[in-house]
Amino acid sequence: MSGRRIRNVLRKEWLLMARSPSSLLFVAGIPLLLIGQALLLSWILPRFLGVDVPIASGMAEDLGSIERFRILLLDQFRFFVLLIPAMVANVFATLSIVEEKLTRTLEPLLATPVRTWELLLGKVLSGAIPAVAVAWASTGLFVLLAIGLGWGPLLRSVIDPSWHLSVFLLTPAISILSFVLGVIGSSRASDAKGAQNLAVVVVLPLFALIAVQVVGWVRFTPPLTLALSLGIAALDVLMLRLAVRLFARESILIRWR
Amino acid sequence: MIRTENLTRRYGQRTAVDRLTIEIAKGEIVGLLGPNGAGKTTTIRMLAGMIAPSSGTARVGEYDPAREPEAVHESLGLLTEAPGFYERLTAEQNLAYFARFYDRIDTAAAVERSLDRMGLLDRRRDRVASFSKGMKQRLALARVLVHNPQILLLDEPTAGLDPEAARDLRKLIIDLREEGRTILVSTHNLTEAEGLCQRIAVIQTRLIALDTPAALRDARSRSAVRVRLVRGNSGLVAALRELPFVENTEVTDGESLLIVAVEDIDRDRPRLVARIVELGGEILEVAEERRSLEEVYLDLVREDA
Repeated sequence: MSGRRIRNVLRKEWLLMARSPSSLLFVAGIPLLLIGQALLLSWILPRFLGVDVPIASGMAEDLGSIERFRILLLDQFRFFVLLIPAMVANVFATLSIVEEKLTRTLEPLLATPVRTWELLLGKVLSGAIPAVAVAWASTGLFVLLAIGLGWGPLLRSVIDPSWHLSVFLLTPAISILSFVLGVIGSSRASDAKGAQNLAVVVVLPLFALIAVQVVGWVRFTPPLTLALSLGIAALDVLMLRLAVRLFARESILIRWR
Repeated sequence: MIRTENLTRRYGQRTAVDRLTIEIAKGEIVGLLGPNGAGKTTTIRMLAGMIAPSSGTARVGEYDPAREPEAVHESLGLLTEAPGFYERLTAEQNLAYFARFYDRIDTAAAVERSLDRMGLLDRRRDRVASFSKGMKQRLALARVLVHNPQILLLDEPTAGLDPEAARDLRKLIIDLREEGRTILVSTHNLTEAEGLCQRIAVIQTRLIALDTPAALRDARSRSAVRVRLVRGNSGLVAALRELPFVENTEVTDGESLLIVAVEDIDRDRPRLVARIVELGGEILEVAEERRSLEEVYLDLVREDA
């Protein structure tokens, strides 16, 4: 019956989300902002900055320095897109338990036969699934706009097996991690702000990921991207188990009055 | 149906519930009465398997709440102190959400039956945010009943409700009692406890008294007759004090109200009235002096403190 209970949590969370126009605006606004920023940077920077990017494997050899620089920038979007679930989680997942406490729904909820892991997994998936969907939709929109700007030939150098692994494995793994950390923050903190402070830790490694890629310290080859994705997926499972252990039903009820 | 033995819960150095031993039979409704901080909510939460006892045992139906909390959650209904709903969702959506956590129930039918029972069926598609406090409390009771539990724990069910809403809710609880459900209800309201409950447990961390409302009153009541006269008469009072069966006479209201303690109220009341008339007293009213449950409760709590 666990599947039914997890789906139940998902359905309720989505109903609440759908009835909160400001939340939907936020979820739609962040990707548009990131897409706009990425395209703008890819358009402007190569025109004004003379950076000579070396030809990498998969790049056509007849490309000029501006195109090579633009490819480097377009390639960063797969990492920028990881910020979408991280930022969405920072708002939604951090509220997940805190809000239940504030609306006094947590006690009647914990009086039902729902198990802690069912509740927490439901909360995590209710945020992570839309976040992944939004991230994928954003990636699709980004590709379409880039083609529209005449950068289609450049995308051939960007969309490689590593890009696919990043979009279809790393993004879901990071999304789940963001939401698990958000839920942990939410169940441990005494208010939404405290939960957000705890959950913000997930954003910092993402910036580091972007930075090491941009400066060329690490090149995310398909094996490395696959290893990173699987490593984070394993971390997701561990963190979810930790979240269940840290979710102290009794102290939540006693301390929250 | 519900049984506790030396049930104790400590928070650090503070003891919230101290060696509580109580037994509630199937179909019985028992009131848990006590001042703020007496341990009523802690007791209910321990019975509901929400918090673990520090020592002692409890049994709810066939299950031990400390060891089998999920089985207890399946079999009992808990009305929490604050109703707690998702205000942006409708009454039906709220109830369906909670109902789907229970195995083996037809959610749609259970929700409809529960809403109908609480008189909220016509408001099922309205958002809970538009509900009055009384309606939210009825909806909370509908949530408690959605899986048709035979054991109910009700924590302050009428707290904060206006008199009309409180009366409606009490009527619903009486209906549940008449269906043979076992109910433990915590309350501050003595009139409510007296009207609803077959027995009352007065607790102040520990159990102070447990009996029927009438027995609690009688055990602490003295045998006395209250006599209201048209006018005060000090000579009459002095004469009454000389009667062999009169133990004590208190005079108030300018000597027009007499509280006369006697040995045996049924035997002595007619003799007392006859003597007052003989002495020229003009009687307006004669009644048995009974102590209210509130007085008994306050005495018990004060003595224990």
